Amino acid sequence: MTPTHVVSPSDKAELQSQRKRAALLFLVPMLAALVLVAAYPLFRSIYFSFTDTSLTNLYGGQWVGFDNYLSWRTLPSGRTIYRGTLVDQAWWNAVWNTVRFAVVSVSLEAFFGMMVALVLNAEFKGRGLVRAAILIPWAIPTIVSAKMWSWMLNDQFGIVNDVLMKLGIISQKIAWTANVDTAMLAVLIVDIWKTTPFMALLCLAGLQMIPKDVYEASKIDGVHPVKVFFKITLPLVKPALMVAIIFRMLDALRIFDLIYVLTPNSSSTKTMSIISRENMIEFDKFAYGSAQSTLLFTFIALFVILYIWLGRVDLSGDSK
Amino acid sequence: MQSSPNSKPTTLIIRTIAAWSVALLLFFPLLFLAVTAFKTEGQAIAVPSLWVFTPTLENFVEVQARSNYLHYVWNSVVTSVVSTILGLLIAAPAAYSMAFSPTKRTKDILMWMLSTKMMPAVGALAPIYVMAKTAGLLDTKFSLIVVFTMSNLPIMVWMLYSHFKDIPHEILEASRMDGAGLWDEFRYVLLPLGMGGLASTGLLCLVLAWNEAFWALNLGSANAGTLATLVASYSSPEGLFWAKLSAASLMAIAPIIVFGWFSQKQLVQGLTFGAVK
Repeated sequence: MTPTHVVSPSDKAELQSQRKRAALLFLVPMLAALVLVAAYPLFRSIYFSFTDTSLTNLYGGQWVGFDNYLSWRTLPSGRTIYRGTLVDQAWWNAVWNTVRFAVVSVSLEAFFGMMVALVLNAEFKGRGLVRAAILIPWAIPTIVSAKMWSWMLNDQFGIVNDVLMKLGIISQKIAWTANVDTAMLAVLIVDIWKTTPFMALLCLAGLQMIPKDVYEASKIDGVHPVKVFFKITLPLVKPALMVAIIFRMLDALRIFDLIYVLTPNSSSTKTMSIISRENMIEFDKFAYGSAQSTLLFTFIALFVILYIWLGRVDLSGDSK
Repeated sequence: MQSSPNSKPTTLIIRTIAAWSVALLLFFPLLFLAVTAFKTEGQAIAVPSLWVFTPTLENFVEVQARSNYLHYVWNSVVTSVVSTILGLLIAAPAAYSMAFSPTKRTKDILMWMLSTKMMPAVGALAPIYVMAKTAGLLDTKFSLIVVFTMSNLPIMVWMLYSHFKDIPHEILEASRMDGAGLWDEFRYVLLPLGMGGLASTGLLCLVLAWNEAFWALNLGSANAGTLATLVASYSSPEGLFWAKLSAASLMAIAPIIVFGWFSQKQLVQGLTFGAVK
């Protein structure tokens, strides 16, 4: 485009620097807000984890170093006693539960999401309506869906047991949320039900970006549809999918509310967030719980760094 | 799999059936919830589930009588709408600045914002609770608004940033050449072109704030409680509460469903972070 009138170089430089200052100024409110409500609590919480602060005495904590994480004492008999989160079996159980939940749920959600997206991407009657209907599970509060499912999965009155019995899949009623063997399955079912639509819509948006002529060309060349999916569709949807997966992963690793409502007392579904809250608030081991949430933070941060590094994901979308 | 204009009618029918079955499977629990809300408590626990019965409005009346429904709706509306507007006011300038005057630090800031999503909410609970208590803001809408705004801020900046980046720089350059000041630039270029992004970001955050339960439960109660608090108050292990719980849940989700229905296109666009269009 050509300028309609000529601006003198000095004016231009003046405008330029004025804009630079404005740009910096625009960042200030956001940065201030984040420091106040995100960074401050984070550092505060990390600080708590190195003290013996208790819930009743939040300001009176003494510095204890790494004692909440790991400490040891050698007895006169020569035996060494280890204490702290890092040798706490309940903690490692929670780590294992969290990782298991996050990996299984996010991969199944990505898989089903892709399937649903492929179905929805085709032409059929009532597409708009169907698309709106599947968005609903995602759009309602987790607390509502968790309560609703806990009732549907109820061993005595639940519709799930009733239907499965009628179909002959199970022979006796299962206490889905109370049983140690099925509690994790129940949590997974609800989470997958809730989040698959979200994944599907992300995949669908990716699918719709792919130009139609790519498919027509491969059709003319007689390429097998399965090959078309792996060689054309998947690589083209991948960038959108990778970003969706990492955001989901962040949520899955911190999962709290669904488990809190659905299976609050089952040791097989206690995740890192759940156990950390339990220690902080219910067991009056505030600093200990803080150490656990600090560990969870570290764990997620390491995961994100690895993911971005290994997957060469550009989250800011510059590669476009 | 792929649509082509000359598909045979049979494939169209098969596709339609497949798509509708998927939708029905996903939608079924909600249908079940909606139906149960109109049953009596006795009918609600019947096995096998009743599908034909005389509907009753008793549950809704009781929910309203037990806890003032409109009070919670008002709290939900105020906290989600105000936090969304406040969030947009803070996020839009920041995103504008990062998209159009990127510096070496832009990427660091984006990563840093993402890192605030790595802390479990429970880890931030005590410090924030103490801050709210010290300021005398416990159980006020104000504290909920602040927390909702902040927890959505990273995602808002992120989304707006990717939307703004799609606006061709040439247009801004041209307007600058024409001597447009910052305000003109904002008013005549950025606002019209970025409207889609702003709308979808706003909508997404509205839904997220509406559904927020952790902070609503921990910072608000009688006075500032939102609809999530109302639903949470209906818990009973004895199972004679299901119809009322369903009614309360239906009342809590109805506004967001109606709202989402009308804005699903923008919502979907917003969900993709503007990364795919």
